[in-house]
Amino acid sequence: MALENFHCLRCNHKYKAEFSKKEWPRELTCPKCKSNSVRWLKKRAAKGAGKKDS
Amino acid sequence: MMDVSRHPNIELITYAQVENIAGFIGNFTATIRKKTKYVDEKECTACGDCVKVCPVLVPDEFQQGFSSRRAIYIPFPQAVPSSYLIDMDNCLGTNPIACGKCKPACEKKCIDYDSRDEIITIDVGAVVVATGLKPYDPRPLDEYGYTRYENVITSIEFERLNAAGGPTQGHFIRPSDRKEPGSVGFIQCVGSRSKVRGHGYCSNICCMNTIKDSLLLQEHYPGIETSVFYLDIRAFGKGFEELYRKSREQGTKYIRGLPGEIREHHETNNLVLTVENTTTGKIELHEFDMIVLSVGVEPDKDSDKIKSMLSLSRTPDGFFLESHPRLKPVEVPTRGVFMAGFAEGPKDIKDSVCQAGAAASKVSNLLGAGKVRIEAVTSSIDEDLCTMCGRCVRVCPYNAITKSNKKANILPGIIEAACAGCGACGVECDYGAITMRHFTDAQYYSQVEAVLADKPGEKIVVFACNWCSYAGGDLAGTSRMSYPSSPHLIRTMCSARVNMDFVKHALKLGAPIVVVSGCHFSDCHYIDAVKNTQKRVEKLWDELEDLGIRPERVQLEWISAAEGAKFARVMKELELLRKQVTPKEIEETKRILIEAEKKKRGKKAAKKTVST
Amino acid sequence: MIAPTKPSEQRIGVFVCHCGSNIAGMLDVEAVAEYAETLDNVVFVQRNLYTCSDPGQKEIKEAIKEHKLNRVVVASCTPRIHEPTFRACITETGLNPYLLEMANIREHCSWVHPNEWEGATEKAKVLVKSAVARAANLDKQKEMELPVTQTTLVIGGGIAGIVSALEIADGGNKVYLVEKKATIGGVMAQLYKTYPTMDCST
Repeated sequence: MALENFHCLRCNHKYKAEFSKKEWPRELTCPKCKSNSVRWLKKRAAKGAGKKDS
Repeated sequence: MMDVSRHPNIELITYAQVENIAGFIGNFTATIRKKTKYVDEKECTACGDCVKVCPVLVPDEFQQGFSSRRAIYIPFPQAVPSSYLIDMDNCLGTNPIACGKCKPACEKKCIDYDSRDEIITIDVGAVVVATGLKPYDPRPLDEYGYTRYENVITSIEFERLNAAGGPTQGHFIRPSDRKEPGSVGFIQCVGSRSKVRGHGYCSNICCMNTIKDSLLLQEHYPGIETSVFYLDIRAFGKGFEELYRKSREQGTKYIRGLPGEIREHHETNNLVLTVENTTTGKIELHEFDMIVLSVGVEPDKDSDKIKSMLSLSRTPDGFFLESHPRLKPVEVPTRGVFMAGFAEGPKDIKDSVCQAGAAASKVSNLLGAGKVRIEAVTSSIDEDLCTMCGRCVRVCPYNAITKSNKKANILPGIIEAACAGCGACGVECDYGAITMRHFTDAQYYSQVEAVLADKPGEKIVVFACNWCSYAGGDLAGTSRMSYPSSPHLIRTMCSARVNMDFVKHALKLGAPIVVVSGCHFSDCHYIDAVKNTQKRVEKLWDELEDLGIRPERVQLEWISAAEGAKFARVMKELELLRKQVTPKEIEETKRILIEAEKKKRGKKAAKKTVST
Repeated sequence: MIAPTKPSEQRIGVFVCHCGSNIAGMLDVEAVAEYAETLDNVVFVQRNLYTCSDPGQKEIKEAIKEHKLNRVVVASCTPRIHEPTFRACITETGLNPYLLEMANIREHCSWVHPNEWEGATEKAKVLVKSAVARAANLDKQKEMELPVTQTTLVIGGGIAGIVSALEIADGGNKVYLVEKKATIGGVMAQLYKTYPTMDCST
């Protein structure tokens, strides 16, 4: 378990929560607006580096 | 029970485990391991001669450990099949030097130490899952002292101590001094209705079971004091309230409040419990000779294997998920599989019998029809485009795609009868080799284009899964919950059918907001296909961000068929988001996406020239 | 991107349902029908008071024959209610059931935009346009039919398993009842008396 960053794309609420990567993917709900448009801000490689959606 | 063993159409396979089930509706193949009993089931007459010579004594599970049995035993006298078996974990050994006494004692020669487990393979058209329940183990609730005090017993132990066929021949005594208790306290909701410890759900049967127990005691031991500590008494069934009233009339006290602690008096072994009577708000002390923990029940965890073999899902409580909570309570999303009894949810005997009948009727209908029709919403693979990468095989929740092998040049194959039509595979395929029949890419693109043909900036494109989100929208409609007219729904069978290229296409055509919506993870009608949706939208958000498009433009929402109100609320929220997107931003998005597409096409073309 | 192909021989019929006043009372069905006439491949448009009723279905069937329709779009309620109805209806005329498409202009439109006559009408038009576009891309589908093995596996020999096994077996079909313990009976066999009649469990 680690503290991970989350960002709600509905109400713009940013928060930290305990989250284990093993649980991924799972349903996320914004604690403030109850939306599911919650983005898990995982540590990504630098912009454009290697990560290409095919 | 005897009817089962006599019935010419029933083959009873006990002491057995289902090791594998493969196939699909109408055509399953099950592999069953029948563990050896070391006693020939058909020959054994249950005479008991073998038991007389067995030197081993172990606690008898059936009697909850209140009495003992031998290593060769029959679970209980009326057991079906009526046959003895050897418990090899406790048997001293079959070698004559170690023991081996039972074999010569058997006149019919039905004991065979060398017999081995048997693997049985059967073809079946339908499966009924009736994996049942397990009483809650109260040991974690330390305040009740179940592990420390002999006179604290569970409701199952109570049954054995009262049963005529029990260890005391139905004479109710307390374990510490084997005397009839003068007072008995019952504690309700042990392991039930607590989100913190035990289970959050109501186990359904314990209230009535305790009421029954109190009546039994009052009847057999007039003058006995019985008290019940409870949160709520749930006597909701036919004849239940009458029974509850009768119990009160016969003198059982009902005290609202669950004890915080039980302590044993070190001399008398009596039990003193401390409880807040929530009716009076006062702390009370009560002393009893004996306490019965009315334990809740839970689904049998051994059914986990069955779950994965049959692609079943569980509710958060651990029960198997039905196809529809009201209209299809015995069906599961996997066709040809039905469930009955506790596996589906807490219920009493009558309800189990009802459900078993319903499941049997469903099975009979299926078998009676003689053939099944598979809806034509299935995927098919274009062999020319397939690269045998194997990604489709991995995302299929139904194991409906046979494994491909690049080296051996084996293409993946769709088992059409097992395919449920979620579409997860088609979206996963990067090579356009998989087509979903009746829900093709071309159909989706045409819909997106139609919705956005005119004034796209005023429209929200919502991809909604048939079973939940779309149905949630229907419920908002039937409930007349009004919301703005900007959202336009495009129906998909599962949200996993939504290709992120559809979403990008919509953005490219000027959609301010695109929504992907599906079932909650626990409600997914395609086992767990919805996981793919979450992953793909995540990936798209990253991609959009990298391109310089606000990820907010793509929204994700899980809406169940019961959440009409949520559907309407979300639609209102989306309209607010839509208003924040300026025409300038939309134009910019279009430009970025068209450029990105050009670049990609250029790269692909370059790749092609290199490879040729 | 895959550009949808639009074969010229497609003849789509659009049926706009009034649903009494459920749809017609909240949006301009006449305008929706007129709009439908302008859409590609649409050769016939008709409004029905209740498309799902017998007269409504009869009108569809007649139109299919008369106008040689090969795709049908019904703009009415949710396909979750009447898709099977209309599929069966068009099948009667010999049309493949998969050549039907529905536009949900009731649950997703008239009922939820009661105070937006203009907005609801426009949205209904778009939903019909979307359905027509999809209909143009629909193909015939053949449903697979498979035999059913006449046996059943019942997993679990408790009361639920026992009863279902007996019921199925009484119906004349073979049942395999698999129990992990050495005897059937389950938890119920351990009970002494049972509520509500306080009788013996075994």
